[in-house]
Amino acid sequence: MSGPAHPSLAAERTALAWRRTALGLVAGSAAAGRLLAETWGSAAWGVSVVGTLLAVVLLRAARRRRLGVHGRRRWALTSAEALTVGRDPGGRLVTACAGASVLLGLAALAVVLTWPV
Amino acid sequence: MSPAASLPAGCEDGGMETEQRAPDGRFPRWVYGVGSEPDARFSLANERTFLAWARTGLALLAAGVALEALDLPVEPGLRLAAAVVLIALGTLAPAAAWWGWSRAERAMRLSRPLPAPVGFGLLVGGVGVAGVLVLLGLLRA
Repeated sequence: MSGPAHPSLAAERTALAWRRTALGLVAGSAAAGRLLAETWGSAAWGVSVVGTLLAVVLLRAARRRRLGVHGRRRWALTSAEALTVGRDPGGRLVTACAGASVLLGLAALAVVLTWPV
Repeated sequence: MSPAASLPAGCEDGGMETEQRAPDGRFPRWVYGVGSEPDARFSLANERTFLAWARTGLALLAAGVALEALDLPVEPGLRLAAAVVLIALGTLAPAAAWWGWSRAERAMRLSRPLPAPVGFGLLVGGVGVAGVLVLLGLLRA
Protein backbone atom coordinates (compact mmCIF):
# COMPACT_ATOMS: atom_id res chain seq x y z
CA MET A 1 0.00 0.00 0.00
CA SER A 2 1.41 3.35 -1.00
CA GLY A 3 0.42 6.94 -0.67
CA PRO A 4 -1.50 8.57 2.15
CA ALA A 5 -4.55 6.66 3.40
CA HIS A 6 -7.97 8.16 2.84
CA PRO A 7 -9.06 10.08 5.96
CA SER A 8 -12.25 8.03 6.23
CA LEU A 9 -10.11 4.90 6.67
CA ALA A 10 -8.39 6.58 9.58
CA ALA A 11 -11.81 7.49 11.00
CA GLU A 12 -12.90 3.88 10.58
CA ARG A 13 -9.81 2.49 12.28
CA THR A 14 -10.33 4.91 15.12
CA ALA A 15 -13.99 3.94 15.51
CA LEU A 16 -12.92 0.28 15.65
CA ALA A 17 -10.30 1.09 18.26
CA TRP A 18 -12.99 2.78 20.35
CA ARG A 19 -15.18 -0.27 19.96
CA ARG A 20 -12.46 -2.63 21.19
CA THR A 21 -11.72 -0.40 24.14
CA ALA A 22 -15.41 -0.06 25.06
CA LEU A 23 -15.79 -3.84 24.92
CA GLY A 24 -12.84 -4.11 27.27
CA LEU A 25 -14.48 -1.67 29.66
CA VAL A 26 -17.74 -3.67 29.58
CA ALA A 27 -15.92 -6.94 30.24
CA GLY A 28 -13.76 -5.37 32.93
CA SER A 29 -16.62 -3.75 34.80
CA ALA A 30 -18.73 -6.90 34.56
CA ALA A 31 -15.87 -8.93 36.04
CA ALA A 32 -15.25 -6.30 38.72
CA GLY A 33 -18.92 -6.33 39.73
CA ARG A 34 -18.98 -10.11 39.90
CA LEU A 35 -15.80 -10.32 41.96
CA LEU A 36 -16.66 -7.44 44.29
CA ALA A 37 -20.03 -9.07 44.99
CA GLU A 38 -18.09 -11.63 47.07
CA THR A 39 -17.38 -8.98 49.69
CA TRP A 40 -19.68 -6.04 48.96
CA GLY A 41 -22.85 -7.97 48.26
CA SER A 42 -25.27 -6.98 45.54
CA ALA A 43 -24.21 -3.29 45.73
CA ALA A 44 -21.11 -4.30 43.75
CA TRP A 45 -23.24 -4.79 40.66
CA GLY A 46 -23.47 -1.00 40.54
CA VAL A 47 -19.86 -1.07 39.26
CA SER A 48 -20.95 -3.26 36.34
CA VAL A 49 -23.95 -1.09 35.56
CA VAL A 50 -21.98 2.18 35.70
CA GLY A 51 -19.12 0.74 33.63
CA THR A 52 -21.45 -0.63 30.99
CA LEU A 53 -23.43 2.61 30.75
CA LEU A 54 -20.20 4.57 30.37
CA ALA A 55 -18.99 2.24 27.64
CA VAL A 56 -22.31 2.61 25.81
CA VAL A 57 -22.00 6.39 26.00
CA LEU A 58 -18.44 6.21 24.60
CA LEU A 59 -19.55 3.86 21.83
CA ARG A 60 -22.46 6.06 20.83
CA ALA A 61 -20.30 9.17 20.79
CA ALA A 62 -17.60 7.46 18.73
CA ARG A 63 -20.20 6.05 16.36
CA ARG A 64 -21.95 9.38 15.93
CA ARG A 65 -18.62 10.90 15.04
CA ARG A 66 -17.81 8.12 12.63
CA LEU A 67 -21.14 8.44 10.84
CA GLY A 68 -21.18 12.18 10.78
CA VAL A 69 -22.61 14.49 13.35
CA HIS A 70 -26.17 14.40 14.69
CA GLY A 71 -27.12 10.90 13.68
CA ARG A 72 -27.12 11.25 9.92
CA ARG A 73 -26.20 7.89 8.51
CA ARG A 74 -23.38 8.50 6.10
CA TRP A 75 -21.31 5.37 5.73
CA ALA A 76 -19.21 6.63 2.86
CA LEU A 77 -17.56 9.79 4.01
CA THR A 78 -15.91 12.04 1.51
CA SER A 79 -12.45 13.26 2.37
CA ALA A 80 -13.72 16.65 3.51
CA GLU A 81 -16.44 15.10 5.67
CA ALA A 82 -13.98 12.74 7.29
CA LEU A 83 -11.81 15.70 8.16
CA THR A 84 -14.59 17.49 10.05
CA VAL A 85 -15.88 14.28 11.61
CA GLY A 86 -12.41 13.45 12.88
CA ARG A 87 -12.36 16.71 14.76
CA ASP A 88 -15.65 16.36 16.59
CA PRO A 89 -15.53 15.75 20.36
CA GLY A 90 -12.02 14.28 20.67
CA GLY A 91 -10.80 15.38 24.03
CA ARG A 92 -14.02 14.77 25.94
CA LEU A 93 -14.18 11.15 24.77
CA VAL A 94 -10.51 10.62 25.57
CA THR A 95 -10.90 12.17 29.02
CA ALA A 96 -14.03 10.15 29.81
CA CYS A 97 -12.34 6.95 28.72
CA ALA A 98 -9.23 7.68 30.81
CA GLY A 99 -11.41 8.50 33.83
CA ALA A 100 -13.46 5.32 33.47
CA SER A 101 -10.28 3.22 33.14
CA VAL A 102 -8.75 4.77 36.25
CA LEU A 103 -11.97 4.09 38.21
CA LEU A 104 -11.94 0.49 37.01
CA GLY A 105 -8.34 0.26 38.21
CA LEU A 106 -9.41 1.39 41.68
CA ALA A 107 -12.20 -1.21 41.61
CA ALA A 108 -9.62 -3.86 40.66
CA LEU A 109 -7.43 -2.76 43.57
CA ALA A 110 -10.44 -3.15 45.87
CA VAL A 111 -11.06 -6.64 44.47
CA VAL A 112 -7.51 -7.76 45.15
CA LEU A 113 -7.20 -6.19 48.60
CA THR A 114 -10.52 -7.55 49.87
CA TRP A 115 -10.19 -10.98 48.25
CA PRO A 116 -10.66 -13.75 50.82
CA VAL A 117 -7.36 -15.67 50.93
CA MET B 1 -5.37 50.76 14.54
CA SER B 2 -4.64 47.27 15.83
CA PRO B 3 -7.46 45.16 17.29
CA ALA B 4 -5.57 45.01 20.56
CA ALA B 5 -6.01 48.74 21.04
CA SER B 6 -9.73 48.28 21.60
CA LEU B 7 -9.17 45.77 24.40
CA PRO B 8 -8.94 46.85 28.05
CA ALA B 9 -5.43 47.40 29.37
CA GLY B 10 -3.61 44.19 30.20
CA CYS B 11 -5.46 42.07 27.64
CA GLU B 12 -3.12 42.71 24.73
CA ASP B 13 -1.24 39.45 25.22
CA GLY B 14 -4.47 37.49 25.38
CA GLY B 15 -5.84 38.97 22.19
CA MET B 16 -4.22 36.39 19.94
CA GLU B 17 -5.54 33.49 21.98
CA THR B 18 -9.08 34.89 21.96
CA GLU B 19 -8.92 35.21 18.22
CA GLN B 20 -7.72 31.61 17.77
CA ARG B 21 -10.27 30.06 20.11
CA ALA B 22 -12.41 27.81 17.97
CA PRO B 23 -16.18 28.41 18.06
CA ASP B 24 -16.71 24.80 19.13
CA GLY B 25 -16.70 23.68 22.75
CA ARG B 26 -13.87 21.18 22.49
CA PHE B 27 -12.14 20.17 25.68
CA PRO B 28 -9.49 20.68 27.08
CA ARG B 29 -8.93 24.29 26.13
CA TRP B 30 -5.21 24.14 26.87
CA VAL B 31 -4.97 21.72 23.94
CA TYR B 32 -7.62 22.99 21.53
CA GLY B 33 -7.23 26.67 22.41
CA VAL B 34 -3.80 26.98 20.79
CA GLY B 35 -2.29 26.61 17.33
CA SER B 36 -4.08 25.48 14.19
CA GLU B 37 -5.86 22.31 13.08
CA PRO B 38 -3.47 19.48 12.19
CA ASP B 39 -4.33 16.92 9.52
CA ALA B 40 -7.29 15.03 10.99
CA ARG B 41 -5.50 11.73 10.32
CA PHE B 42 -2.78 12.72 12.77
CA SER B 43 -5.35 13.56 15.45
CA LEU B 44 -7.07 10.23 14.86
CA ALA B 45 -3.76 8.37 15.06
CA ASN B 46 -3.03 10.16 18.33
CA GLU B 47 -6.41 9.05 19.62
CA ARG B 48 -5.73 5.44 18.63
CA THR B 49 -2.43 5.55 20.47
CA PHE B 50 -4.28 6.68 23.58
CA LEU B 51 -6.79 3.86 23.12
CA ALA B 52 -4.01 1.29 22.73
CA TRP B 53 -2.59 2.46 26.06
CA ALA B 54 -6.03 2.31 27.67
CA ARG B 55 -6.44 -1.29 26.50
CA THR B 56 -2.96 -2.13 27.76
CA GLY B 57 -4.08 -0.79 31.13
CA LEU B 58 -7.21 -2.97 31.03
CA ALA B 59 -5.07 -6.02 30.26
CA LEU B 60 -2.80 -5.23 33.22
CA LEU B 61 -5.87 -4.95 35.48
CA ALA B 62 -7.15 -8.29 34.23
CA ALA B 63 -3.76 -9.89 34.86
CA GLY B 64 -3.56 -8.51 38.39
CA VAL B 65 -7.09 -9.58 39.32
CA ALA B 66 -6.65 -13.01 37.73
CA LEU B 67 -3.52 -13.64 39.83
CA GLU B 68 -5.59 -13.37 43.01
CA ALA B 69 -8.98 -14.59 41.86
CA LEU B 70 -7.82 -17.80 40.18
CA ASP B 71 -6.21 -19.11 43.37
CA LEU B 72 -2.91 -19.89 41.67
CA PRO B 73 -0.29 -21.97 43.48
CA VAL B 74 1.92 -18.97 44.29
CA GLU B 75 3.06 -17.92 47.76
CA PRO B 76 0.20 -15.58 48.88
CA GLY B 77 2.32 -12.59 49.97
CA LEU B 78 4.33 -12.43 46.75
CA ARG B 79 1.20 -13.10 44.70
CA LEU B 80 -0.59 -10.17 46.30
CA ALA B 81 2.47 -7.95 45.78
CA ALA B 82 2.60 -8.87 42.08
CA ALA B 83 -1.13 -8.28 41.71
CA VAL B 84 -0.88 -4.85 43.34
CA VAL B 85 2.05 -3.89 41.07
CA LEU B 86 0.10 -4.93 37.95
CA ILE B 87 -3.06 -3.14 39.06
CA ALA B 88 -1.15 0.02 40.00
CA LEU B 89 0.41 0.01 36.51
CA GLY B 90 -3.01 -0.63 34.96
CA THR B 91 -4.47 2.31 36.86
CA LEU B 92 -1.60 4.65 35.98
CA ALA B 93 -1.54 3.66 32.30
CA PRO B 94 -4.75 5.44 31.21
CA ALA B 95 -3.82 8.53 33.22
CA ALA B 96 -0.35 8.65 31.63
CA ALA B 97 -1.97 7.96 28.25
CA TRP B 98 -4.29 10.93 28.69
CA TRP B 99 -1.32 13.12 29.55
CA GLY B 100 0.62 11.85 26.53
CA TRP B 101 -2.40 12.29 24.25
CA SER B 102 -2.93 15.91 25.28
CA ARG B 103 0.75 16.80 25.00
CA ALA B 104 1.03 15.20 21.55
CA GLU B 105 -2.15 16.90 20.32
CA ARG B 106 -0.92 20.25 21.58
CA ALA B 107 2.49 19.77 19.98
CA MET B 108 0.87 18.89 16.64
CA ARG B 109 -1.34 21.96 16.80
CA LEU B 110 1.70 24.12 17.43
CA SER B 111 3.80 22.33 14.76
CA ARG B 112 6.34 21.41 17.41
CA PRO B 113 8.26 18.13 17.66
CA LEU B 114 6.31 15.42 19.44
CA PRO B 115 7.17 15.08 23.13
CA ALA B 116 8.91 11.91 24.30
CA PRO B 117 6.48 9.17 25.30
CA VAL B 118 5.65 8.93 29.00
CA GLY B 119 5.60 5.75 31.00
CA PHE B 120 7.48 3.28 28.81
CA GLY B 121 10.18 2.70 31.42
CA LEU B 122 7.65 2.40 34.22
CA LEU B 123 5.55 -0.08 32.26
CA VAL B 124 8.47 -2.30 31.29
CA GLY B 125 10.07 -2.13 34.73
CA GLY B 126 6.78 -2.79 36.52
CA VAL B 127 5.84 -5.79 34.40
CA GLY B 128 9.36 -7.15 34.95
CA VAL B 129 9.06 -6.72 38.71
CA ALA B 130 5.65 -8.41 38.74
CA GLY B 131 7.07 -11.30 36.71
CA VAL B 132 9.98 -11.77 39.12
CA LEU B 133 7.58 -11.69 42.10
CA VAL B 134 5.40 -14.40 40.54
CA LEU B 135 8.45 -16.49 39.72
CA LEU B 136 9.75 -16.24 43.30
CA GLY B 137 6.27 -17.01 44.59
CA LEU B 138 6.06 -20.11 42.42
CA LEU B 139 9.41 -21.35 43.73
CA ARG B 140 8.40 -20.77 47.35
CA ALA B 141 4.92 -22.21 47.12
